[in-house]
Amino acid sequence: MAMSLLMPIIYLVILGNSFQGELKNLPVAVVDLDGGPYSEKVMELFRAVEAGPATLDIMQVADQGFAMEGLREGVFKAVVVIPGGFSRDVMRRNLSEIGLYLDNAETISALTIRASITGALSALKDEFVSIREERAQMRLRDIELYKKIDYDQTLIPGVVIMAIFLGAMTTGAFNMVMDKFLGVEESYFLTPLSKTDIVMGLIASGLLITTFLALIVLFVGSLISGLFFWGGISFGAFVLMLAVIILSTLGLQGLMFMIMGRINHPRIVGVLGGFLNVILFFPSGAIYPIESFPGWLKAFAFVNPETYSVHAMRALLFKSAGLQAVQGDIAFLAVFALISVLLGMLVFKRAL
Amino acid sequence: MRAIETTDLVKKYGELTALGGVSLDVPEGEFFGLLGPNGAGKTTLIRILTTLLKPTAGAARVMGHDVVKENALVRALIGVVPQAMTSDLDLTGYETMDIYARFYGMHRKERGGRIDELLDMVGLKDRAKDLVATYSGGMRRRLEIARGLVHKPAVLILDEPTIGLDPQSRHVVWELLERFRNADKLTILLTTHYMEEAESLCDRVAIIDYGKIVALDTVPGLKKQIPQKDSIELGVTGVDMERAVEWAKKLSGVTTASYRESTLLVSADHGAEAIPAIVEGLRGMGGRVARVMLKEQTLEDVFIHYTGRPIREEEAKKVSFLLGAGVPTKWGK
Repeated sequence: MAMSLLMPIIYLVILGNSFQGELKNLPVAVVDLDGGPYSEKVMELFRAVEAGPATLDIMQVADQGFAMEGLREGVFKAVVVIPGGFSRDVMRRNLSEIGLYLDNAETISALTIRASITGALSALKDEFVSIREERAQMRLRDIELYKKIDYDQTLIPGVVIMAIFLGAMTTGAFNMVMDKFLGVEESYFLTPLSKTDIVMGLIASGLLITTFLALIVLFVGSLISGLFFWGGISFGAFVLMLAVIILSTLGLQGLMFMIMGRINHPRIVGVLGGFLNVILFFPSGAIYPIESFPGWLKAFAFVNPETYSVHAMRALLFKSAGLQAVQGDIAFLAVFALISVLLGMLVFKRAL
Repeated sequence: MRAIETTDLVKKYGELTALGGVSLDVPEGEFFGLLGPNGAGKTTLIRILTTLLKPTAGAARVMGHDVVKENALVRALIGVVPQAMTSDLDLTGYETMDIYARFYGMHRKERGGRIDELLDMVGLKDRAKDLVATYSGGMRRRLEIARGLVHKPAVLILDEPTIGLDPQSRHVVWELLERFRNADKLTILLTTHYMEEAESLCDRVAIIDYGKIVALDTVPGLKKQIPQKDSIELGVTGVDMERAVEWAKKLSGVTTASYRESTLLVSADHGAEAIPAIVEGLRGMGGRVARVMLKEQTLEDVFIHYTGRPIREEEAKKVSFLLGAGVPTKWGK
């Protein structure tokens, strides 16, 4: 009862902060290959956006290769390239172009960045016009990094992790809670089964069911949103995807044992379930980019296993990434799974 | 060897003493009954013997193994039928048996035969492929008894096996227990608060109340120890009641006699055996016996004698006002 009162208030805080109306602090790398007066002007305008509405977090990077790699790994959400000879072209009133590389695997961030940068550059145009009284032919050429991705498709990693969460929630540890509630667990405590046998058995059954659930959701979700990833990703990437799903499931199964290990009424699980879903899912970056969160929520996202699952699945599905791009995620998920299963076993009491 | 042996077993929950020093000896092959009202400590004792609870003080051994230090070994040697129905509703009868046989590490060959044999004995062979959810209470209980025996335990422990069953199912369970006991030379420990259950099944009975054993003997032995005997009421006409009372008091086996209007009240060691002599004697005096009523001494009388009250009905469960029924017991209290 107390929990069902408290939880909605916590939702408010979490949801309110993970869905702030405007996106903030989206990391954008700027590669200035020109170094002329106009490129400096552009930089100033960007800095103004950073200082003002704080939509962007501008980082000046010297090496375009490094910036692009950062973009692919998700460190930057976009890379702006000011080509060599930009200032000269502007002065000669030639066609001058600024390149904008967008991580379109996150639709909302990409749209916001494009709007923000276009806005900043239009200021330059106006200024330019007023000085020279002639219209310069300057334009922003944006390049989407990956083949076109619809918004509903970008939600697929989130939907899969939600399936994993719900699977973990209703199998494994929950079976144990139900058995306790129905008094059935007494009869297997009376057998020679050890605590490890019981916990591992429940986790193994939960893992099997949840992995299938997640795969079904992945396929059906892809069909509905028209992603058809099976044509787009390699067998290796699919194996990595499976590894991410299995490790995420294992981690969440362990987490459920940690949380539910001592609970013996399903009603409490119901309340906790809704709560956990919100606090794990929304800060995972599945819907809104983590960069826009306030510091404390960002810190939570940093230790939230779902963040890593979403990041890895997004990279594998949309960015044709290989092991290198997701090994960090997989390592985190593996360590999390190991720790949570061990702690889950510690919490579980083989006694009435 | 002693099948079950406890010495000064104490279990305390905070201030509450559930067991206040219980010492028991149950030889192998005995059918031993623990009789007591709800809350007397029967289930606590069972849970200590079945390694689910640790005693606060004292020791308990099952087939020579300490229940705390050698708990895994003890669990392999005992078969238990807990008080609550503990069979999983989502499994079939056969699956229930099979999964438990696996828990005990039985081999495939061993399993199949044993399961068929047991399901046949408890009369569930035809329902083996049905979900437990479709079983009646009596069927579930029979399945649980079969489940408790699947690994051929040395000791079978049953906690209130017939609680909540209809009289017919109760008799079926009793017959089953008799059969298993004779077939497998089992030691059986049974708790109950049904007098007739203890009387009809048990070799020896311990009466337990407020966590202590107040009496322990065979059922006839327990009855012998108490002064209340069988009582006989006879409706008599055509005889001088004063004379009849004086005469009756002299009969062998009769302890007291009195009358109330035309009813003669006689107390005897063996009421049923005394009746013919009394009836004949009264006829000899010219009287006519219209009716005879015998009230035999029961374990209930024994129970009242030792505890000072009849076996009480279940106390109301404490339920948390805020959280509702079925919340963790710690919160509920």
